[in-house]
Amino acid sequence: MIFIISIFVLLGSAFIFIAALGLLRFDNLYSRMHATTKATSFGILLLIIGIALFFNSGIIWIKSVLVILFIYLTAPLAAHSVAKSYKEKDEKME
Amino acid sequence: MRIVKKTYFIVEFVLFYMVKLVQANIYIAFDIVTPKMHTMPDFITLPLKIKSDFGLLLFSNLVSMTPGSLTIDINEEKNCIEIHILYNQNKEKVRTEIEAIQNKINYLIN
Amino acid sequence: MELEPLNIISVIAFILLLSAMLISLYRLISGPTVYDRIVSLDLIASIVMGFILLYSMVVNKALYFDVVIIISLISFIGTISISTYLKTKKQ
Repeated sequence: MIFIISIFVLLGSAFIFIAALGLLRFDNLYSRMHATTKATSFGILLLIIGIALFFNSGIIWIKSVLVILFIYLTAPLAAHSVAKSYKEKDEKME
Repeated sequence: MRIVKKTYFIVEFVLFYMVKLVQANIYIAFDIVTPKMHTMPDFITLPLKIKSDFGLLLFSNLVSMTPGSLTIDINEEKNCIEIHILYNQNKEKVRTEIEAIQNKINYLIN
Repeated sequence: MELEPLNIISVIAFILLLSAMLISLYRLISGPTVYDRIVSLDLIASIVMGFILLYSMVVNKALYFDVVIIISLISFIGTISISTYLKTKKQ
């Protein structure tokens, strides 16, 4: 059991670290947003699954499903909003 | 009978979403960790066939989660979507992939 | 703090999250545009969520899970409001 929990926790924090590395390495805003939108929400998903396996009670499982649904509904929306405002500013500058 | 069919489609859609999710994350993690980046960013525009708002929400979320594509904009008449892609090498493949997702959602909504 | 397996795991995960926090702070300070700063603030909120999840595992209290829900709500609303403000601002 401890083995599965540690795999989930380590993979989750590694994906968040990869997202930060992508924020540093890519050279334009849209590519950076690719990294932060996908890898961050996947890392949080793995971390939450690991923590829910650690506590393993009913209310924690319900709360974690709610948090995961909320994150997966809102992370693309936030990226979409930032990208749209960046694009409109770009068109205004030209 | 109709309910059974609908449930089957919903389960299949959720499994499809999860497979795409894991695939996208492996792609982008591989791309960031290896020293040489093989990304060629570009924009494509596609015509939309979905009419309902809920379908558009599902479609844009799923496109944002597929490997190397991010929804940028949907125009006012709701008939055209603009997508930023990360791998420009094979544009036709990306286009057919997104068309397949669109057909799947159209089938699911109706 | 004795050396159980979960303690070692959580120390490694804390180090990974801390270096992610430092990298995104660098991007927050030196970002070329405002939009890079918004994106890195969003990432910092996610990193704080990861910190609190790990801390709830270390101290073994499930109460901290509610803090994660609140932070995810606040970070989403903050990102949306800043980008909408920048979009509608008069030049």
